[in-house]
Amino acid sequence: MKLFSKLTLFITLSKLAIVLLFVLSLPYLVENIASEYTNNYLRQQCQKVKEVIARKGIDFYLEGSDSYGSYTLLKEEYIALEATDKSRILDTIENTQRVIEADTLNYRVLTHSFDVGDKHYLLEIGKTTSTISQYNKPLQRIASYVLVGLIVLTLIADLVFTRLLLRPLGQIIRTKLKNRKFPFRDDIPPVKTSTSDFKYLDESLILLMEQVHDAFEKEREFTANASHELMTPISILQNKIENLMDDFDVDEGLQERLADMQRTLNRLKKIVRSLLLISRIENEQFVRSESWNVKELFETVKEEIGHRMEERFISMELDISAGTVWHHINRDLIFQLVYNLINNSIKYNKDLGTIRVSEVHRSGKPYRLIIQDSGVGISETDLPAIFNRFRKLNTGEGSGYGLGLSIVKSIADYHQITISVDSVPAEGTRFQLTFPKEVISSSDQVRNLSAS
Amino acid sequence: MKVLIIEDEKTLALEIRAFLNKAFYLCEMAHTGAKALEMLDLNLYDFILLDLGLPDMDGLQLLEEAKKLHADAAYIILTARGNIEDRIKGLDQGADDYLPKPFSLHELQSRMQAISRRKFGIRNELIPIGDFHVDLQNRSLSSGSDQIDLTRKEFDLLSYLLLHKNRVLTRMQLSEHIWGSFTDDDCDSNYIDVHIKNIRKKLGNYAPVDWLETVRGVGYKIKKQS
Repeated sequence: MKLFSKLTLFITLSKLAIVLLFVLSLPYLVENIASEYTNNYLRQQCQKVKEVIARKGIDFYLEGSDSYGSYTLLKEEYIALEATDKSRILDTIENTQRVIEADTLNYRVLTHSFDVGDKHYLLEIGKTTSTISQYNKPLQRIASYVLVGLIVLTLIADLVFTRLLLRPLGQIIRTKLKNRKFPFRDDIPPVKTSTSDFKYLDESLILLMEQVHDAFEKEREFTANASHELMTPISILQNKIENLMDDFDVDEGLQERLADMQRTLNRLKKIVRSLLLISRIENEQFVRSESWNVKELFETVKEEIGHRMEERFISMELDISAGTVWHHINRDLIFQLVYNLINNSIKYNKDLGTIRVSEVHRSGKPYRLIIQDSGVGISETDLPAIFNRFRKLNTGEGSGYGLGLSIVKSIADYHQITISVDSVPAEGTRFQLTFPKEVISSSDQVRNLSAS
Repeated sequence: MKVLIIEDEKTLALEIRAFLNKAFYLCEMAHTGAKALEMLDLNLYDFILLDLGLPDMDGLQLLEEAKKLHADAAYIILTARGNIEDRIKGLDQGADDYLPKPFSLHELQSRMQAISRRKFGIRNELIPIGDFHVDLQNRSLSSGSDQIDLTRKEFDLLSYLLLHKNRVLTRMQLSEHIWGSFTDDDCDSNYIDVHIKNIRKKLGNYAPVDWLETVRGVGYKIKKQS
């Protein structure tokens, strides 16, 4: 999950949780506050009464009788004062029922006992419970609305800010990681941000890629120089041997040994040439602007290499539509790629074996080319390494020096062709090439696309 | 024919000269660009073999200068740099052929001969071998009035051997001539045998082919006619 999605999710959920908690506890809170407020109110009233008695004497209320009572118009509040002979001290607040003029009502009642002179008095102040909770509902509702409004506002603010905050990270990922291709040749300016963490990440990535690029450049330069420096001495040796063979054409023994030398030298020459080719492909020294009819290409390869198939009675089945054309390719390189793959399929095939070349071209899906042979196969442990340089398959009798498939890989990479292999030992190997869109769409379509 | 070898590797220049001398070319050598220009100014050459990696001068620039002095000469670029751009530039600037190092001296001679035919209009009449006649222009082989059908590769093989008559050519040299740098190890050398076998079979139907000799452990050669 993306960081932004995670943060959004967390922020939203945490706010929802807060809303839920508040809404659930609101009735309880409001009720508590109201009842607490009522208690305070009753105590204040009680205090007032006692102050009046202290100032003006008990008879201000009793006017000579034993008790005094009074209530408001709608019996919402009442007060009762009476003399009592019990000397117990009472000071409670409780919900209870009182009957006032034949109406039985629920009251919250403060009961308070006190002494004036040697007489005991009992004071009751009551307030109907319905008046206590009359504001609860609207209060709750308004509080909820305000809360939800505030939450929505902060949520929006949080999301906008998070998005702004994380934008540099997205830019770093997009420009530095996703859209870059090995060997990171192009310079990409640092992402603008005031967040030091992102700055650090960005700078580290730039530095890292520069290092990768430098290392790659050095390796490539070394390969190119080494190959070049090797070619000249090889050239001298080869020509010397050729001249010697001409001079000594009478002595057959010596000639045979010279031919051996030539063979060894030839091997060296091919290795250097292959390394040079790989280095040049990686150096992007080839233009990719040509087209080739695929069937024609395979026929050409077959013509070049057919003698090897005939020798071992290997048949090749071409299941390719006559109209398929590859565009935006380098013909020399693509020829080499197909040649090496077919050559490989012959080399590691059985006598009387088969090679099947087919294409898969469904609309909406990338174009694929499949080369399937009936050869010795590649063991699972060898599979990941077959494209490595100088990696020879464990076939025992195989010839070659493991550069053929490295070249295939370099050429495929250069054309953005994805290459995958699967193999069953003793049954065969299947190479699958997945092509980028522009290789298979005709140049006209590409032109239209780029124009629109 | 007169050849100027412009090559800073002296040993290599000597080997090329030694080989071409045997094929009756007259060779002179220049090891620097300056020396080459001096010699081009004084003498006439039919062939100029030009190494692009000279110490004192860019090879392609030298080619341009040389073309001004000797527009008619045939130019073959020899280089160990061997990148495609150089090749295209070289051919664009009027070089007749391009050989990446390391090359076979036999291949060099074969290219020179092809240029001679093309450029200087040197028409070999029919070349006889045994009871056969080879026509290099029309790429055909005949025995008396009969045309013999050879595949492209068989004809290439035969004419290459014929050009280097009386010299042994190894299977490897032959396969490199025919399949170029696409050959893989010496795997292809064996297929030379198959082609030679086919040639012998096809030709054997008309007349003896004992002039096409197998040199054990080495390769093949076409024997000089006595």
